[in-house]
Amino acid sequence: MIPWKLVLKNIRGYRKRSVVTVVLSAITTALLVFSSAIMDGSHNTMIKNAVEIYPGYMQITHRDFRDTPGYENLIFDLDSLRRSLANIPDIAAYGARFETYVLYSTEARSVGGMLTGIEPRAEKQLSRMASSLYEGEYLDDEDGAVVYIGFELAKRLKVGIGDELAFIGNGADYSMAADVVTVKGTFRTGLFDFDASAAFMNKRYLDEVMVSRNMATHVIVLPANVEDCGKIEDRINQEVGGDNVAESWFRTMASLVQAMKLDSVFGYITLGIIFIVIFFVIMIYTLLTVYARVREVGVMRAIGTTPWGIFVMLVSESVLLSLVGVLLGGLLGACVAYYFYLNPMEFAGYEEQFKQYNMVATAIPADFAPLVIARDMLIMFVLCVCSTLYPILRLNRYRPMDAIRHV
Amino acid sequence: MDNDFLLIEKVSKIFETGQDVRVVGLVELSLSIGRGEFVVVSGPSGSGKTTLLNIVGGLDDATKGRVVLDGLEITGLRERKLAALRRDHIGFIFQAYNLIPVLTARENISYVMQLQNRAKGEIEERVEEIASKLGIQELLDKLPNQMSGGQQQRVAVARAVASKPQLILADEPTANLDSKTASSLMDMMQKLNEEEGITIIFSSHDPLVISKAKHSIVLRDGVVVENVFP
Repeated sequence: MIPWKLVLKNIRGYRKRSVVTVVLSAITTALLVFSSAIMDGSHNTMIKNAVEIYPGYMQITHRDFRDTPGYENLIFDLDSLRRSLANIPDIAAYGARFETYVLYSTEARSVGGMLTGIEPRAEKQLSRMASSLYEGEYLDDEDGAVVYIGFELAKRLKVGIGDELAFIGNGADYSMAADVVTVKGTFRTGLFDFDASAAFMNKRYLDEVMVSRNMATHVIVLPANVEDCGKIEDRINQEVGGDNVAESWFRTMASLVQAMKLDSVFGYITLGIIFIVIFFVIMIYTLLTVYARVREVGVMRAIGTTPWGIFVMLVSESVLLSLVGVLLGGLLGACVAYYFYLNPMEFAGYEEQFKQYNMVATAIPADFAPLVIARDMLIMFVLCVCSTLYPILRLNRYRPMDAIRHV
Repeated sequence: MDNDFLLIEKVSKIFETGQDVRVVGLVELSLSIGRGEFVVVSGPSGSGKTTLLNIVGGLDDATKGRVVLDGLEITGLRERKLAALRRDHIGFIFQAYNLIPVLTARENISYVMQLQNRAKGEIEERVEEIASKLGIQELLDKLPNQMSGGQQQRVAVARAVASKPQLILADEPTANLDSKTASSLMDMMQKLNEEEGITIIFSSHDPLVISKAKHSIVLRDGVVVENVFP
C-alpha cells in the first residue's frame, strides 16, 4: 500500500502544481457558488415581487372561480371559512378580498378599473399594498367611503388626495352599485398596469355597497413559513373542502414558475459549458503535471509499487487538492454570496427591463442557501477529481521501463 | 551454492521501434546464475546488457524464451504479480540513481519496506543498520537534490538492499560516478554480497567494475560471447 506520507510529500514537493490546481478549483468553485447564488437570488426576487405585491402566497377561492371568475363563483360563507382557518396552525395571517370591476368617473374623465375591498390591517401582512403608499394615507379597518388608488390611475382620473371620484359597477346580487368616495391615499408598486387600474377600499364598507356581506372573491393566506406553502395548502384543503379550494403561489402563478424554470435551464446550460471548459483545463493541466512525473512513477513501479498503488497515490493527491480547492472556493463564494445577500446588487437604470420580469426593485440580493452551496461544492469536487482520472489512467498504462526511459 | 537460482533459457528480445523497423536486443540467450553470486554483465553499447537486466527484473517482456527466478517462472506473469515479485525479491540500482525526489534518504530507503507492510520499528532498525553499513547516516534526512551523485547512488544502493531481496540488479551503477566514488561503491557492494548473501548482477563496461566480478558474462549483439565462472 502507498504510504500516505508520500501523498502529502508529493503535494508539498510539487508545490507549483499543487498551488495551481488548488487555485483553479477554488476559483471555479467560487464562481459556481456565486453564480448559483445570484441566479437563485434573482428568481427569489422575482417570486417575492410577483407574489408579495398583490397576489399573495396562497389564495382560497371558489373551486370554479379561476376558470369562470364571476359572482356565481364567490366564497359565499366567509365566516365559516374564517372559523376553519382559525383552527389551522402555521398560518401567520389571512384576509378576505372582494374583487370587482367598475367604471371610475371624475369631472375630467371616466376610466375602467379594478376595485378591491380589503381588510386593511390584515392586508398589511398579506401584500405590499400598504408599503407601496405614495401620497396620503393607507386604509384602516374603520374607513368608510374612502379609496386607496393607484398612482397612475389617479393621474388618469386627474384626482389627488382629498378629491372625490364616483364609481359604478355591479353588486353581488347583480344590482347596480355606485358610490362617491374620497381619495385617501395613492400607491405606487412600480408595475404600471397595476398602478393604472387598481384601487382599494375597506371591505366592510364596500360590502354594503356591493351587497357582498359574508362573501369574498379570494381569501389570501400567509403561511408562517413560506417554504411550507405546499403542506399548508394540503391542510387547508382538508379542512375547508367542499366548494372552496386553496392554491399556493406556484399554482396560481404557474407561468412565472415555468419562466423561472426555463431561465434556470438556460443558466445551467451556460454553467454546463463553463464546466466543460473547466473540466478540460484541469485535465490538460493534470496531464502536463503527471507527465512530468512519468519517470518517477516508472521507478516506483520498478521497485514494487503496483499500478493500483500508483493510481491510489495520484487519485489521493487529486482528491486532497480538489478538496482544499473546493473548500476554499466554496468558502470564498459563500462569503461573496453572503455579502450580496446582505447588500443587494444595485442595477439602477434597468427598471423597465426588470418590470418585464415582475421585478419592481432594482436591487437584487444573492440567495444564501447553505444546502445549495454544499451541492455546488460537491459538483465541483466530483468534476475536479473526474477531470484528473484520464491523465492518471493514461500514465498508469506505461510499462515501468518505458516510463523510466520517458523523456 | 544453488546453481539454478536464476535460469535464463533461450531468451530473445526484438524491439519494434516503428513500421518495419525491428531491433534485435537478445538472441536465444541462455544463462544460469547461482544464489549469492557477484556477476558482471559487460559488453559494448547495444550489446543487450540493460535489456537482459530488464527482462530478468520483470521490467520488460521477452519476445521468446523463459526466465525462472528461484523456481518461479516470471516470463508471462501479470503486472500485479511482477510488481509483488520486484517488491519482495528484487532490488534495483539505476544508472541515474532514480531516488523519489520528494522523499528524504531515510524515506527512500524505507519505501520498499513500507510497501511490504513491515512494522515501523523493524523498518527504522533496518534503515539505521544499512545506513551504518554504507556510511550514509549523515545523509538520512537529506532530500535527493541536497546530495551529490555519489551520495545519491549510495542511498540508491541502500534502498535496493534494505528489504533484503534475493537479487539485486544494477544497471551501470558507476557510469555517472568518478573513479574513486565508483571504487568505493563497488567495495561496498562486494561487502553486502558477502555479508547479506544477496545475488548481485551488474551491467557495466567499466574495467573497474568488471575487475571485481566473480562471474563475468560478456555480451555482443545480444549473444553471450564469454561466460567466465569463478
